[in-house]
Amino acid sequence: MRTSTKPSKLSLLWLQGATCNGNTHSFLNYPHLEAVLERLEILYHPLLPSRYRIGELEEVEKCHILVVEGGVREGVKRGNREFKELLELFIEKAQWVLCVGSCAVYGGLFGERGVALKGEEPTPFYLPKVINIPGCPAHPDWIATTLWAVVEGRELIRDHLLRPKEIYGYTVHAGCPRNEYFEWKVDAREFGKREGCLFYELGCQAPYTRGNCNQILWNEVSSKTGVGMPCIGCTEPDFPQENLFSTKTYMGIPARFPLGVPKRAYLTMTGVAKSFKIERLERRLFEED
Amino acid sequence: MKRIEILEKVEGEVFLHYHYRQGRIDHVEIEFPNYRGMERLLVGKPLLDALVITPRVCGICGHSHLIATARALESMASMEIGEKAREIRRITLSCELIQNHFKWLYLVILPLLEELGFPKVPPFQGLQGANIAGKIIALFGGQYPHTSYAIAGGVVCDPTSLDIYRASILVEELHRLYEGEVQRGGEPLFDGKLLLNRIARFLLDHGVAELGKGWGRFLHLGASEAIERGERREASTEKIEEEPSRLGYATNLLYEGKYWEVGPLARRLSDPLVAQLIEEFGDGLLSRIVARVSEIGWLLEEVRESLGKIDLSQPSTLPFPTGIGGYGEGIVEAPRGSLIHRIWARDGIIERYTIWTPTQFNLANGTRENPSVAQKGIRGVKEGTVAALIFRSFDICSVCTTH
Repeated sequence: MRTSTKPSKLSLLWLQGATCNGNTHSFLNYPHLEAVLERLEILYHPLLPSRYRIGELEEVEKCHILVVEGGVREGVKRGNREFKELLELFIEKAQWVLCVGSCAVYGGLFGERGVALKGEEPTPFYLPKVINIPGCPAHPDWIATTLWAVVEGRELIRDHLLRPKEIYGYTVHAGCPRNEYFEWKVDAREFGKREGCLFYELGCQAPYTRGNCNQILWNEVSSKTGVGMPCIGCTEPDFPQENLFSTKTYMGIPARFPLGVPKRAYLTMTGVAKSFKIERLERRLFEED
Repeated sequence: MKRIEILEKVEGEVFLHYHYRQGRIDHVEIEFPNYRGMERLLVGKPLLDALVITPRVCGICGHSHLIATARALESMASMEIGEKAREIRRITLSCELIQNHFKWLYLVILPLLEELGFPKVPPFQGLQGANIAGKIIALFGGQYPHTSYAIAGGVVCDPTSLDIYRASILVEELHRLYEGEVQRGGEPLFDGKLLLNRIARFLLDHGVAELGKGWGRFLHLGASEAIERGERREASTEKIEEEPSRLGYATNLLYEGKYWEVGPLARRLSDPLVAQLIEEFGDGLLSRIVARVSEIGWLLEEVRESLGKIDLSQPSTLPFPTGIGGYGEGIVEAPRGSLIHRIWARDGIIERYTIWTPTQFNLANGTRENPSVAQKGIRGVKEGTVAALIFRSFDICSVCTTH
């Protein structure tokens, strides 16, 4: 006979530093949120029903998972306390610390630093219990599956910046629907068309930005590069760079190459690809024969 | 007697410094505690980078900030975008409002009503509504939140007819959810069994329907309208004044030297249901809540209409000049009301950027003698939960307010 036992819940506290709340809302978009929340006891979340109010956090004795959203910055208040004080208090108490979004991970747009990193430099909170989930915002699937791993008691393999490799081992370029245009070096020269690669002229950073956006898709339906917007490198420590809608080049050669690809290899492949003209890729996709 | 309370679930928090007289709230000082410095961050950046930066003002209404930036840039270049881009932007912007209203109803308002005795409603149906609206945005914008798909001159996407059908199917699903759970258009407000019917009856039975009245002055800047005591006149952003903060980091916004209300109540005054409620119960709690919730129904109609109007053969974007300068202004009807971005630039570089947000109008921190709309609304209330409900009926956004 099958028996159904209710699995125990792990407690979670979601703390915000200097933030736009983008990760809170990104997570709320997770389509199977109810199933994930079944396994969690929400001590505090900025919007979901919670056991404590923001002014009562000092009463929280134990918290298994601390989720941090937003950069670490002097003067940010949560309830009657300084965010930084609460952060230190709960990092101490928590078994796991999930930093969601690029602000909490690296410092991002608003922070003086992230939790465990300042850019790429470790802070005193660079600890084995930290899992970094950068992105602006972090994808709901990244937050949900990482939480699930913690709930199941599994450890995720992480890179030197404490990011799960199964998410950030890929580049955003992998799975981009415009890959054929990249392979054959057919550039999009203007926005608003479904044809052409955005890497050469329009600022796309997908070939050197980590993340699996184009494999798992956003909101289950699309991605930035899928609709024709350049990847802006939002999972990287140097986000946001400048001139996000045009590609920086030196003598016509992109200033940055695809992740791990040496300049010589890149130029050789580009030269070969460019020496052929693939008629099908030069035409509009639905143009009649 | 003075007491400070923290109001949460308002995209951050607000400190409310209540002053009581004979057991009733006599005055409240409103303090927004956190500041990030968005406007300063933008100075010295290339103009187009603002399209990526300003959505990060806010996780729940960042798309409105994107559209405001795009419009400000286009105004600087004195250009009009094409019809296709205009319809697509109307769809995604309306969907942002829809997701906002679902979340506000299910996550912000219902938990407070529950404290007052309303039966518990789990948040998941509301989140499903928000989720579907986000999917529609992503079909055109690639993702939600935080896309920058609306660029100066149009939109980057080049949807296929199947994308339009996908969006249409999602709109119908959303409509089914809305009409099945929340409100059915044309049905009497106080009779039905749906959520909004039950809320309306509850507010009435609880004796709070008429609390929280404003000044009867409404700004709908997206339509260039100022409506005072039922009379409409042409509005202009030149009449907006920014008053320095008396407390915390937010600045106050006034129009013609007075405090006005912005938001769904201001922009849906011609909805017969809203007009009737204002007539009967005034511009208070009931009217404000019903105006926001029933705006979902209107927005769904607008999205349907735009989906039907898009001509896919038109260009998605028009060329935008490089290295421009001067002044540009973008006005958007954001979820919480009129939002204004103003940019000053030289040679393609931002010299000054100002953001005026709806909550700076509605929750301005005025004085006892000259209170803002929310401060006026709260006066005379006894119970803290009811006071919180009045505040939240404005759908406050703390992160936008201080940006």
